[in-house]
Amino acid sequence: MSLLNLLLLILVVAALGYFIGRSRALKSAKGDQAALHSRPHHYGWNVAIFASLPALLVMVAFVLLQALVVPNSVLKEISPELIESTGSRSLVMTQVQTISNGLEAAVENGLIAEENIATLDVQTADVRALIQEAGVVLGADVNAEMLESAKTLKDRVKKWSFIRNILIVVISLAGLIYAIIRTNKDFRARNVVENSIIALLVAAASIAIFTTIGIVLSMTFETLRFFELYPASQYFFGTQWAANFRGGSALGVLPLLWGTLYISLIALAVAVPIGLFAAIYLSEYASPLMRSVAKPTLEVLAGIPTIVYGLFALTTFGPFLLGLFGKGGALGVEWMADGRSVLTAGIVMGIMLIPFVSSLSDDIINSVPQAMRDGSYGLGATQSETVRQVILPAALPGVVGAILLAASRAIGETMIVVMGAGATAAIFYESPDRFINPFEIMTTITTRIVAQLTGDGAFNSPETLVAFALGLTLFCLTLMLNVYALYIVRKYQERYV
Amino acid sequence: MTSKHDIDTQYNDNQTRDLDMNNIKISAKKVQVYYGDAHAIKDVDVEIQDKTVTAFIGPSGCGKSTFLRSLNRMNDTIDICRVEGEILLDNENIYDKRVDPVQLRAKVGMVFQKPNPFPKSIYDNIAYGPRIHGLAKNKAELDDIVEKSLRRGAIWNEVKDRLHAPGTGLSGGQQQRLCIARAIATEPEVLLMDEPCSALDPIATAQVEELIDELRSNYSVVIVTHSMQQAARVSQKTAFFHLGNLVEYGDTGQIFTNPQDSRTESYITGRIG
Repeated sequence: MSLLNLLLLILVVAALGYFIGRSRALKSAKGDQAALHSRPHHYGWNVAIFASLPALLVMVAFVLLQALVVPNSVLKEISPELIESTGSRSLVMTQVQTISNGLEAAVENGLIAEENIATLDVQTADVRALIQEAGVVLGADVNAEMLESAKTLKDRVKKWSFIRNILIVVISLAGLIYAIIRTNKDFRARNVVENSIIALLVAAASIAIFTTIGIVLSMTFETLRFFELYPASQYFFGTQWAANFRGGSALGVLPLLWGTLYISLIALAVAVPIGLFAAIYLSEYASPLMRSVAKPTLEVLAGIPTIVYGLFALTTFGPFLLGLFGKGGALGVEWMADGRSVLTAGIVMGIMLIPFVSSLSDDIINSVPQAMRDGSYGLGATQSETVRQVILPAALPGVVGAILLAASRAIGETMIVVMGAGATAAIFYESPDRFINPFEIMTTITTRIVAQLTGDGAFNSPETLVAFALGLTLFCLTLMLNVYALYIVRKYQERYV
Repeated sequence: MTSKHDIDTQYNDNQTRDLDMNNIKISAKKVQVYYGDAHAIKDVDVEIQDKTVTAFIGPSGCGKSTFLRSLNRMNDTIDICRVEGEILLDNENIYDKRVDPVQLRAKVGMVFQKPNPFPKSIYDNIAYGPRIHGLAKNKAELDDIVEKSLRRGAIWNEVKDRLHAPGTGLSGGQQQRLCIARAIATEPEVLLMDEPCSALDPIATAQVEELIDELRSNYSVVIVTHSMQQAARVSQKTAFFHLGNLVEYGDTGQIFTNPQDSRTESYITGRIG
């Protein structure tokens, strides 16, 4: 029985349990619903939960355990020579697994009988062709030992699956029977159902939290590996970024950090005023009709994928800026040599962020109580005085939160930078012009992470591992911003409203 | 009761003088207010006198708050609201095109049902209006205005040591007195109060009522209230609204002791409302 069928079986048992539990509860109360402690459907759900939840949990645990134990047990038996000749253990294992899957598929498609697999031999049959016919493509010919390992793997998986199926069906039925026995009119089924709902919600919340912890931990370990290969002081304080896959790279984070902050700063300088003013207009001045049209339109901007913005930067906005500031441009200055620049990426990123700032700020401004506006108008204040002196201060914590959220987005943005600002890190040592001039090409942490990880490099050189250090740096940067945002909101929340 | 009798007598004296002194502050003629299609105020004629407390009473939804809000054009902030007819403030129609509603509201201050101090310090709450209208030439003058307003708002002694603490940190009754002081600070000629005590406890209510009585010496006060006792306690003139109509308007004593209209009588004796 496959996993999917097993899942269906459990659900069928649970559904059955629902009806049994419900009717049993009613019967114990002699059909009088008011005599029951809980509503009839609570009894149904109680049985359904006992029939499915433990079985499903065991199933997940079993599948994880099987994926860990079975391939390893086969791998242990593979000779060192084979591993040597193939390259690495993981490569051998991948091939063995593919062959095993192929054999399985072949049996399912009726290309070979189950009992004949044991006698299958590389000498007498073209295993690769057989597997290929079943729809599984193999990179290399099958050698004898691999085929034997694949057979063992297939057998063991089968044995484990069998045990698994029995175990889970038993658990499911045991849960069903246990819950049915407990069902009577005084049983507090509602509390059980309520608690299960809490457990479900807690599980959902903890998955998110544990994933975050997992990501941070894995990045931390890789970063520590990086610092074994590359001195931390040079990473943190190095003023040069020159990654070179032949080795001898300069991997200082400062130029990238500078590029990230510089571009983000320009983006915020564009997005914050425009977004905030748009929000004030929408929430305070616009007529309901105008608002109902303008707000969704503005929010469309937020739905555009950033790669499209990047394209806009590369093909439209960059050349436009070059036409203004470049050689022979409209302004007659020669400040810009390339369409890609800090300014191009910064402004386009700013446009991307406008809906973030405006939409969030608009919601926050709207949530300022009408009593505040009335109070101000009642004293003879004009609309703009009211906005500036009463509404904005009251909305400040939320607006700051919106701005910092936009800042996090700016710091994490990749595609617009790749296409709008280039791939060369800021250069500190030539002349100040080379890293202060906004018309220069510059790049950010995110684009370098992509660049360091794409390609054939194995994860054992500082040039690739630096990506994890960069990722962790970025994470810390946005984390600090978020913490600061929380701090601002907390600090002013008491004072305002 | 004797004091009320005194007021009534005094009031009757005033009224006899009214005709020659013409101290009518606000005069409404044939006022209609519409919310979209709903006709909220129908044909209201009323004359509100200077240095008098006028109470608007009536059951919920009778339009008394709506009418109050049309006296300083606060209804302008509601899109679907439309006002017809004439409201004269010192013989000038406030719905005239030449009248700037912002200036009007500086002259006709308003205190709301729920205390609504700004999320600023007590000082800044009071200084808000004077700053906007440029009433103080320098910091010392502004300090002076703030102190004077807080004293007139009968809250100075409670807040003088914490002028820079947030106004939102005060108790409900203090907040309402702060809002009254804030309205006074812009030196209005008329003070509109929309159920100023409905969110307050009895002690705070008593304090605010006392304050309203004191304010009468300088301003024309119009108060909307659900409490008939309050109307009887603080006002000299009372207007009874019912279903958008002004049913009866006259001296408070007369309205409560000898109403002319049967609807007024039913309301004050608790049969409708």
